[in-house]
Amino acid sequence: MPRRHSRFVRIFGTIVFAIVTVLFAALIVNAFMNGGKPLTTLVPHGKYAQDIQNLIIPVFAIAGIVFVGVMAATLLISWKFREKDDDDPDAFPEQVHGRTALEIGWTILPALILAGVAVGTVITILELNKTPDDAIHVEVTGNQWWWQFKYDVDNDGNFDGPGDITTATEMVIPAGRNIALTTASNDVIHSFWIPGLNGKKDAVPGITSPLNMQADQPGIYRGQCTEFCGLSHANMRMLVRAVSSDDYDRWVANQLDVDHAKQPTDATAQEGRKVWEALCAQCHVINGINGPNSAKPQGSVPLVSGVAPNLTHLMTRGTFAGSIYNLYDDVQSTYSGSNGDNLGSDPTDVAAAGDPGAALYGGPVNVDNVNRTTLEAWLRNPPAMKPMYAKGGRGMPNLGLTEVQIDQLVAFLVTLN
Amino acid sequence: MALTEARPLALPSGDEGNDYKPAGVFTRPTASTGWRSWVTTVDHKKIGIMYGATALVFLMIGGFEAILIRLQLWSPRGTLLSADLYNQVYTMHGTTMVFLVVMPIGAAFANYLMPLQIGARDVAFPRINALSYWVYAFGGIFLNTAWLMGGGADGGWFNYAPNNGVIFSPSHGIDFWNLGLIITGIASLAGAVNLIVTVLNMRAPGMTLMKMPVFTWMTLVTQFLLLFAIPVLTSAQVLLMMDRLFHANFFNVAKGANPLLWEHLFWIFGHPEVYLMILPAFGLVSEMLPVFSRKPIFGYPFIVFSGIAIGFMGWGVWAHHMFVSGIGPISVTTFSLTTMFIAVPTGVKILNWTATMWGGKLKFTSPMLFSIGLVTMFTIGGLSGVTHSVAPADSQQTDTYYIVAHFHYVLFGGAFFGFVGAFYFYWPKVFGYMLNETLGKSNFWLMLLGFNLTFAPMHILGLQGMSRRVYTYDAGYGFELWNKVATVGAFILASSVFLFVFNIFYSWRKSKSLPPVGADPWDARTIEWMTPSPVPAYNYDPIPTITRVDDFWYRKYGETKDGKLVRIAETEDVVQKRSDGKHIHLPSPSYWPIVLAFGMPIVAYGLIFSLWLCLIGGLIMGAAIFGWVMEPPDDPDAAHADHGPDDHVSDDGTAGELTEGEPSAEADADADATKEAETVG
Repeated sequence: MPRRHSRFVRIFGTIVFAIVTVLFAALIVNAFMNGGKPLTTLVPHGKYAQDIQNLIIPVFAIAGIVFVGVMAATLLISWKFREKDDDDPDAFPEQVHGRTALEIGWTILPALILAGVAVGTVITILELNKTPDDAIHVEVTGNQWWWQFKYDVDNDGNFDGPGDITTATEMVIPAGRNIALTTASNDVIHSFWIPGLNGKKDAVPGITSPLNMQADQPGIYRGQCTEFCGLSHANMRMLVRAVSSDDYDRWVANQLDVDHAKQPTDATAQEGRKVWEALCAQCHVINGINGPNSAKPQGSVPLVSGVAPNLTHLMTRGTFAGSIYNLYDDVQSTYSGSNGDNLGSDPTDVAAAGDPGAALYGGPVNVDNVNRTTLEAWLRNPPAMKPMYAKGGRGMPNLGLTEVQIDQLVAFLVTLN
Repeated sequence: MALTEARPLALPSGDEGNDYKPAGVFTRPTASTGWRSWVTTVDHKKIGIMYGATALVFLMIGGFEAILIRLQLWSPRGTLLSADLYNQVYTMHGTTMVFLVVMPIGAAFANYLMPLQIGARDVAFPRINALSYWVYAFGGIFLNTAWLMGGGADGGWFNYAPNNGVIFSPSHGIDFWNLGLIITGIASLAGAVNLIVTVLNMRAPGMTLMKMPVFTWMTLVTQFLLLFAIPVLTSAQVLLMMDRLFHANFFNVAKGANPLLWEHLFWIFGHPEVYLMILPAFGLVSEMLPVFSRKPIFGYPFIVFSGIAIGFMGWGVWAHHMFVSGIGPISVTTFSLTTMFIAVPTGVKILNWTATMWGGKLKFTSPMLFSIGLVTMFTIGGLSGVTHSVAPADSQQTDTYYIVAHFHYVLFGGAFFGFVGAFYFYWPKVFGYMLNETLGKSNFWLMLLGFNLTFAPMHILGLQGMSRRVYTYDAGYGFELWNKVATVGAFILASSVFLFVFNIFYSWRKSKSLPPVGADPWDARTIEWMTPSPVPAYNYDPIPTITRVDDFWYRKYGETKDGKLVRIAETEDVVQKRSDGKHIHLPSPSYWPIVLAFGMPIVAYGLIFSLWLCLIGGLIMGAAIFGWVMEPPDDPDAAHADHGPDDHVSDDGTAGELTEGEPSAEADADADATKEAETVG
């Protein structure tokens, strides 16, 4: 190879080497910068996520040491034993065929390190699978492309009793309490994952699987479906609102109240209710208007999942449509208790989730804050807002609503606190 | 009546062949140059080249799909692809890269090199070898015609049930995926049987198993993995085919199916699959590192047995893909531990490679750079692999970009770096000219840069919560920066692949004014470097007799007791001269493999669109099998009728040029000699 070519390669190689080194350093530094990253796995916010963190940090450390060791060794060897220009081209290095003792050594050494990791792993697996007796039981069901939550409030082992709660998209839990989730699915395999609170668990049709969860502090913890579930997999999100114990009780009481505000006083809203009963009630449920089992999809294509989100307390949620759009213009960057106290910064630093304010606990909906633009756009043409497969019975079709009907429906929906 | 007649088995002995005058289609094709020679060839070398060339074409397709993915994810709410199209593109990217690129490049090297490394004339079943290639090529084309017939598969390369059912994926994309991979599975399976038989039965005299080159060993392990893994995938796919095309209920949850059945079957195939993609590259690196370190491989038995150990342990780790699928804590614990400990034999390999370099005299040629690239980049992939063998950690990492980073470090940083290095290494042997070293080294650095820019940031993206297989992400999650870096990296990576292609043409043009490259341009170790470059059709004349590992090296050099190397013979005296090969009996070409393979996609189209097409495809296949069976074992008119089983090569003088004391001078392709080799093995 001509000399100027070899000089070019040397300079180019050095530049690449420098860029890659800087890249790796930047990535390692960035791993510690988790502000504004609500889905990060590196900042645990509850017991179970913390257990995982306690296990993974030493594993990352060991991996990091081995990584640096192998890289350094390779570089060192490459430099030290490189063929030099003035070397005798006919001279050969010592011909070593192997050293059995050394090789047995470096077979056993990693095995021992891994045995240590294995002990920690087994302990953590058992720890993560312990469900305390006082846990709140919630069944999480994946649907294309939203999550349904059923609370066994009366703790009778049944999620569908009259004293139980069915809601969607957002899950409200009391901070500090253990939540025993059961994952299930109505159609394909999904995966429920709130990175701040625990690892994920697949929601497999026909199978239920347990998953524990606990949040140390009140706050908003975002999640994302992580098992590919078809067209709108990317848009299948959810969030957990951890609130104080008292607030949780208020929230539960409001959710159990199914008779409030079902007869809107406002004339537009009354018209909206008629539209809802004529069209939306084919798939959606509002407890007190149509029972949980009365929503029977009509027409030629049955709804594959069997259900659409329960809208009884729609306005207690800050987001809708698989938690990809805000239901309120006001966004919640700090968590406020029902008594108006600011309980500190939201630990996950989400600037994106809509803030239902007092409506979360059944208080009045601040109508001025409702994100009408997006809600109306959704009603106008849902598949344009979120890819769905309505003609295959999956997702919300374009109902061809008139602007008047949309106004009426919105007027009705905002009464659902 | 005829059945009761006592007749000797009518196996052609070679003598009757001269009396046999086959008519019409049953004559065998004779072309040895031009396109006909490629279409009808049964030469393992030509087939290997075709495997490689076809895989490079599919690499361009899969790479284009990768670029589309990266462009879509350049910024939040990307609008280049719709959700539907993105799902098809990422599915086809994974499927193409795994089944139509990485596996076939492994097959290309196995086909080309392995018979050379064991001193064979060809593989055991040359026509089946041709069939394997054509089935793979037609299967891959069939799979990609989905784009023209309603769109690609949209269920991911793992294609979990029940999302792969007709209800959830009503287009024909998944049918194409399913049937296409059943077809390429036939290719892999036939190839596996063929290559296993070849390694076990056709080694040169003296080559015992523990004298085989490491690449041959890794090929053997790989083919056993294929032999047992592919049928599992095919079974699952036949069930899926029944579900999708004939309304069966194997994966219909409403009829009581358990969707985890698919996951288990897929990963029982899928994890050995990972190892059978990486082991050929491990073998190639084990060939290249010693050559450019000027030292033997450190701990040959450890390298070999760790490869075998990986092959065995690879069967006991599949459920680590299913840690969060709800298989229960006991299963999770079991598979967590087995997965951790498969890291041990893998780690042994890394350490043995670095020990091979230690104390050597390293020549940083392009193949060496790529080999060192493999050792380091694969180490990163291996270490991230260990972090998700820790099941609780994996419950956070799985199905995030952390996993995407992990397996690209394994399959691109590992397998593909090894393959590109081996392209540079073996190019002079295969095509008779060297690839330009300046371009080659630039190629390495550019690829290293693009590769790391693309995939290293994905570790952090995943750990900070970005899911896999999402066609979009929102602002406010902190994903923007690293997605942009990865997209820039993808373009650099693509340009490095184009630089490689450019180097092929550039070096080819330059080579015309250069002296022909010798048999042994790198001063290499294994016997394939004894053959003239490019390798003549007959491979060896005569077949060498093997006395030790790296036999060719020790024909050139002797080793004193204290490990000093002394040259005992000039390379030109040791390598073989090109002979006319007239006295060597080679398998004749055949056009039935391509015809038989051609029938398969027609049957597959028929299953999707109209069963009448199945009939046509079936008739083509039946006719091909009939022709295959009826065609004469070789061409009686070929110009080597002077060959007889007792003829000695020394008659024509070529063998006389070989060094004295060269025992192989006596050995012909003579079956008896090969028999002896087998018993030694």
